[in-house]
Amino acid sequence: MVSTLAFAVTGILIGAAFGFVLQRGRFCVNSAFREVLFQDYTMFRAYLLAVVVTMIGANLLEDMHWLGHFEQGIFVTGTLYRQAFVPWSNIIGGYIFGMGIVLAGGCGSGILYRVGEGNLAYVFAVFGFFFGIAMTKFGFLRPIYDWMIAPERIVWKGEDTIPTLYNITGINKWILIAVISAVLLTFIFKGKPFVKAKKGYSWSLAGLLAGLVAVAAFWASEYYGGKARGLSFTGPVREFFLAVLFGNYQNDPGAVNPLESRSILGMIFSWSSLYVVAVPIGAFISGKLLKEVKMKVPPADELFKVLLGGFIMGVGAQMGGGCNIGHSLTGVSTLAVSSWVANIFIILGNWTMVYFLLIRPMRDLDV
Amino acid sequence: MSVKTATPDQTLDTLGRVCPYPLLLTKKALEKLASGQTIKVLCDAPASAEDSIPRYAEKQGYGFEAVKLDDKGYWELYIKKS
Repeated sequence: MVSTLAFAVTGILIGAAFGFVLQRGRFCVNSAFREVLFQDYTMFRAYLLAVVVTMIGANLLEDMHWLGHFEQGIFVTGTLYRQAFVPWSNIIGGYIFGMGIVLAGGCGSGILYRVGEGNLAYVFAVFGFFFGIAMTKFGFLRPIYDWMIAPERIVWKGEDTIPTLYNITGINKWILIAVISAVLLTFIFKGKPFVKAKKGYSWSLAGLLAGLVAVAAFWASEYYGGKARGLSFTGPVREFFLAVLFGNYQNDPGAVNPLESRSILGMIFSWSSLYVVAVPIGAFISGKLLKEVKMKVPPADELFKVLLGGFIMGVGAQMGGGCNIGHSLTGVSTLAVSSWVANIFIILGNWTMVYFLLIRPMRDLDV
Repeated sequence: MSVKTATPDQTLDTLGRVCPYPLLLTKKALEKLASGQTIKVLCDAPASAEDSIPRYAEKQGYGFEAVKLDDKGYWELYIKKS
């Protein structure tokens, strides 16, 4: 087992690195999806590049048996964490989440890193996000959530295998990765990836670095955190708030896994819940260096909209099993069917909300 | 030709607004401007000021110039409608 110090420091480093890259690269999955509707594929290409890098890197880690952790001095290899396919939850949750990010003005990672840029609205978004998550997993919306994820609604491949794109098609995993990468890279290279940005990172560098951090997170979450969850924000945000509010990252103390958690200052944290707090810190450092950090607040109605958006995101993310990082980047890269389905519905939800919130009001222009 | 001007035809304040409102408000304002007119947009959302708004202006073929006010932590964006 790794020391508590290494556990905490690596979690914080990964989070800070991700926050730094997101701020510097202006990386935003929300606008990546949104701008597709306006025939601007720049940010979407950055997102796809991050997916290609993560998909190749993560599966390489897995198949080369580099993924693993020490247990009583013995190196135990691990596998990438792939989510079970729960159609109701992945479809409905993904769709709700996709709508929420438009209202909140940022995606799961976007609302976190923008806290570091000093806009109070995003603090509201993060609080709303946690409220939505907790209410769905533990409270008012729990009956719906429990119905969605009931064992009889989980779809397996065969007896008990989690469906992936390669096991349901019977295509060799690496051939599939090669084909997907080739298709995506063809599209990515149409966007002139080698043109340097005037300031900050070019979209291609942002995508590349985001992907590399996601790969590092897969390795570190297994090595230090005992489980190759990779980067995600829904579970970790919930775990972080539960730890700082109630002293334990698990609502049920019986669910605490000693391999995956450490007691720090009297609170039990999971490895992943530590990088959550470091994302705004990394973004703050980047923003400070660029002289872009400023305390600011939008008008009250917008603040309210953002709070509501964060809440809707939380409900959708918990129902659907992940946000735009957990599913759209990390999960998609593992080739799990659940994440591909959820991602499609996140995009559709995003487009639906963009239509009602942005396109229709623009068309009936009277302001 | 410089797009920056001391006398813009309109000044739009988007300070504090969250993504994507700075871009949306800028689009709306530009639609109402006549060709040749210039708008000055105050923006403190980094992703909007350095990514989405310049990209939009470039796609429309509008003149664009950004001045970053380091001491104030925001940008003045000048867009000239063509």
